[in-house]
Amino acid sequence: MSLSVTLRDVSLRYGAEAALTGIDLDLEAGKIYGLLGRNGAGKTSLLSLVAAFRKPSTGRILVGGEPVWENASVVSRVALIREGGDFDDTETVKATIESGSIRPSFDTEYAYKLADRFELPLKKRVSALSRGKRSVLAAVCGLAARADLTMFDEVHLGMDAPTRDAFYKELLAEYLERPHTVVLSTHLIDEVANYLEEVVIVDRGRILQHADIEAFQGMGATLTGPAAAVDALGLDALAEQRLGGTKSITVASALDADTRERAAAAGIEIGPVGLQDLFIHLTDPNRNGA
Amino acid sequence: MTAPALATRRYGLGAGLAGAALNYFKYWMLAAAVLCFAVPLLIAQYAGIELSAWYYAVNAGKWFTAFVGGGFVFTLLPQMIAAGLTRRELAAAMGVFGVLWSLALGAVGLAGLFAERAYYGAFGWSQGIDATSGIAPIGSAADTAAFAAYLPLLFLAYFAAGTVIGVASYRWEHAGWLLLVPVLPVVFGLDVALYSTEPVGPGWIGFLGRFIDEWGRGPLAAAIVLATAVLAVAARRLLIDVPLRSKQA
Repeated sequence: MSLSVTLRDVSLRYGAEAALTGIDLDLEAGKIYGLLGRNGAGKTSLLSLVAAFRKPSTGRILVGGEPVWENASVVSRVALIREGGDFDDTETVKATIESGSIRPSFDTEYAYKLADRFELPLKKRVSALSRGKRSVLAAVCGLAARADLTMFDEVHLGMDAPTRDAFYKELLAEYLERPHTVVLSTHLIDEVANYLEEVVIVDRGRILQHADIEAFQGMGATLTGPAAAVDALGLDALAEQRLGGTKSITVASALDADTRERAAAAGIEIGPVGLQDLFIHLTDPNRNGA
Repeated sequence: MTAPALATRRYGLGAGLAGAALNYFKYWMLAAAVLCFAVPLLIAQYAGIELSAWYYAVNAGKWFTAFVGGGFVFTLLPQMIAAGLTRRELAAAMGVFGVLWSLALGAVGLAGLFAERAYYGAFGWSQGIDATSGIAPIGSAADTAAFAAYLPLLFLAYFAAGTVIGVASYRWEHAGWLLLVPVLPVVFGLDVALYSTEPVGPGWIGFLGRFIDEWGRGPLAAAIVLATAVLAVAARRLLIDVPLRSKQA
């Protein structure tokens, strides 16, 4: 059974420093969410609260409709996998995998299958693993947790591109086989964009945007065509690329009918905005209202 | 895992930790036993044997027990919370672990004292301890049993002391270890007072024992029970809302 997440007026302070302020957030059960934010925006703090790794300074956090803090029947169904994993480095990979069985839903057989697939050396100590293999071990433990709410916090950062791709595919396969709630916190936005159903953007300790992926893609557009024609539209570009006489620009506002007509007449193709470009725009410190 | 199984997993975890720790350290204990029986044999070639070597091993075991309590909780805390355990469950598991570990080491301590008693008897050596008033023989078999009967309690006191310091060290990364300052003299002092001797370790730490060593074993045992309970409550209190540290990038 998937778990929903509800945060109401949640704040978190580290001493005098506010990490999160006035967070109200609802995540429906059974969806894949992307949690995006710049470094220090509060993504990890937010996930730590949802997983009861920390207690909020103020506010209420419900997971599956119940308070999550010190609630064994809830936290046993929630998995937050942090980059590098929360492991005893002196243990072997095998012992680390087996220690996961403290979680009721942990699937040890599946974990070993994944370990074999990702070529994890079972006899090696965790401290002797490369950053990439350590990330893989964390991901394996996260997938095999078979939790009803699984959150990956930059877990895949240490992995190389083929391993990341295999991880995303395994994550999706596991999600399709056993619908549950997934939150992916990442900086590799374009890599995961196709897997996400909804996106939450955290900026400076607050929720900046929360919408489904189509709504985000409709917040802007990508226009590709002859450079002169693109320039003639006079749009404010977030990002631009040029290849010979062809130019592609990203804009952060929906195009009105007139602009669309002029673009079409000039042979310009209009596509959805890239999530990463939009994210960069939305979290630009110099942007008004951000 | 069903709801009842979830409700009792803390006890299973505690028992599992005790079993795993005893299994992990079994060769250490075996090595200590071999040394305790071999070293007197060597020394006997040059001098008389009046002191129980096993008693030194048991005392080293008390410090070791403190390290086990502190080390395990320090290491397990992030791992277990991340694996979906609550802090209360971990506190209960550590309690079960401490009791089982202390009972097991107490039993090993008792068995070793009796084995040593027979061993020393076969060679005509005296099995004594280095008491404050000089070397004191442990005494008859009944005296030996009475002497060893307090060992599980003492192991538990050291385990609780180590656990408090372990949790505090996790909770307050740079300052938690300072709890050593109030905790160690109390536990060590009670140990000193109970046997009117200086256990293995820096003798000055047990200075508090000098003020209470006339109380008799009953009141001192009660004081050790009280100190252990206070330490267990303190460890639980420190654990119950400890935040997991942020991971270093």
